[in-house]
Amino acid sequence: MNDERPSMASVQEEIVAEMAGLEGSLKTYAYLVELGRALQAPEPSIRQEAHAVAGCQSRVWIRAELRGGRMRISADGEAMITRGIIALLLRVLDGRTPAEILDGDLFFLDRTGLRSHLSPARGNGLAAMVQRIRSCTEEAIAAT
Amino acid sequence: MTGRDRPLATGELLDLLHRGHVQVEDVRPIDAYNGWRLHGEARGGHIAGARALPFKWSAYLDWIEIVRSKGLRPDAPLVVYGHDAEESEAVAGLFRSAGYGGVRVYHAFIEEWCPDPKLPMDRLARYAQLVPAEWVHRLITTGSAPEYDGSGFVVCHAHYRDTGDYEQGHIPSAVNLDTNTLESPETWNRRSPAEVRDALLALGITADTTVVLYGRFSLPDNADPFPGSSAGQIAAFRCAWIMLWAGVKDVRVLNGGMQSWLDAGFAASTAADAPRPAGRFGVEIPAAPQLAVDLPEARQILAAADANLVCVRSWPEYIGEVSGYNYIEKKGRIPGAVFAECGSDAYHMENYRNLDHTTREFGEIVELWRQVGITPDKHNAFYCGTGWRGSEAFFNAWLMGWPRVSVYDGGWFEWSADESNPIETGEPAVAIPGAPGS
Repeated sequence: MNDERPSMASVQEEIVAEMAGLEGSLKTYAYLVELGRALQAPEPSIRQEAHAVAGCQSRVWIRAELRGGRMRISADGEAMITRGIIALLLRVLDGRTPAEILDGDLFFLDRTGLRSHLSPARGNGLAAMVQRIRSCTEEAIAAT
Repeated sequence: MTGRDRPLATGELLDLLHRGHVQVEDVRPIDAYNGWRLHGEARGGHIAGARALPFKWSAYLDWIEIVRSKGLRPDAPLVVYGHDAEESEAVAGLFRSAGYGGVRVYHAFIEEWCPDPKLPMDRLARYAQLVPAEWVHRLITTGSAPEYDGSGFVVCHAHYRDTGDYEQGHIPSAVNLDTNTLESPETWNRRSPAEVRDALLALGITADTTVVLYGRFSLPDNADPFPGSSAGQIAAFRCAWIMLWAGVKDVRVLNGGMQSWLDAGFAASTAADAPRPAGRFGVEIPAAPQLAVDLPEARQILAAADANLVCVRSWPEYIGEVSGYNYIEKKGRIPGAVFAECGSDAYHMENYRNLDHTTREFGEIVELWRQVGITPDKHNAFYCGTGWRGSEAFFNAWLMGWPRVSVYDGGWFEWSADESNPIETGEPAVAIPGAPGS
């Protein structure tokens, strides 16, 4: 991982700026679906119960491991909109240090309206995904 | 205004319905769809065959996913109606933006369709037992509400062993209801009649009390030692079933639970509201024993041609990949049980809920059940791991007015603990319609 990588905050600002230009919920939806289509498919073995995230409207699998002092996160989901949300979370969180993940403020979720404009069930799924990444990070720290 | 945009006349809508293939969307609140007359409707319910797509949902980014999950086709005629022309037009506009052709609006539902008894309508048989937040608000602020007989009410905030869930915010005047007061923490079955009676009286509930139950959904996580503490709305259904079994005559559930209360803009209270204990329950408990099934009868049901033991669990539980619970070791399913998947795991009921946690449009549940042979002509006994999810599915069937419905209280916990009971694992030999493995 290149240490010159933009900070979590600046990556989030980029996302906020990209999504600010989207007018209406259908445009935002289309943007997320496009991200979902472009999401690099992780290895199929991720789709097992041990990596499943409970509480998502469609099935989601997340694996997060500590390697070289940074969390390497891979994830997959069945629904395109969910894959789009995963793509945004990976863009912000993949390759960060455990401290960045545990202490970082995911403000883009509020400023883009993602947290408030998803249906409650899918919003719960988003919260469950963030919770899973953080709990994997805590477990990785505890194991070192 | 072009012909395409002009609102349909009642005769034109009737004509489309008679010709078939038209998709009709009701954008009023789900409770109006179910049967509540929220906007002066002369008759409660919805146009027969219409689907529920409340205007509230059009604010969600994933609205189109809801539309697709309902199987609505872009190439077939589609009619939108509600109680408010602006809302209908807005939803029609969303459909058009999403590539749906042939979208029309119908604005005469309240004025022409509802008052005319010749025009077909449908509704949830016991809609009055699934109440909107506005109804609860009116009840607790004025002491009266439509379809309430005035004989006294108690609102219960249901939760499992977590008083903090109540203390962090509840409906004003609601009392704190821990499921452990009605369920045994050893077997997770309903407590004895005397214990249930004492628990209900302590809450101020008699057979004649109107009880309104609700809970809060707060991200149940299997990694948590007590995931059930975060599945409050399922807890509410569980308590509702026990109260019906006991003999409470008017048991209601707030549709969507705490989420609906907050969505409606009503404030939560953090003040503890003490129950006013009652002295006499009024009937012998259980007054409705037929609503509960225990192990011997569950075995009989499996052997009967006109009865179903209905498994309301998740696919990983059904095929024996997981037990579903951190306190149940054995994995697998009851051979011969009919699978009616709950959702993602033991603490989620996605297949029985809308995306705002309200109860799913009843016709969709009927169709899911029909595909696997769960029909109202049979006795359907619903079960899960320890009875919560089974109680929610039971309550759905009960709301529909199905005559022979019950909960197999012991569920997988009881069945799997008895070494003499057979167990199956793996994917079934014959694919189940709609199941993940099909």
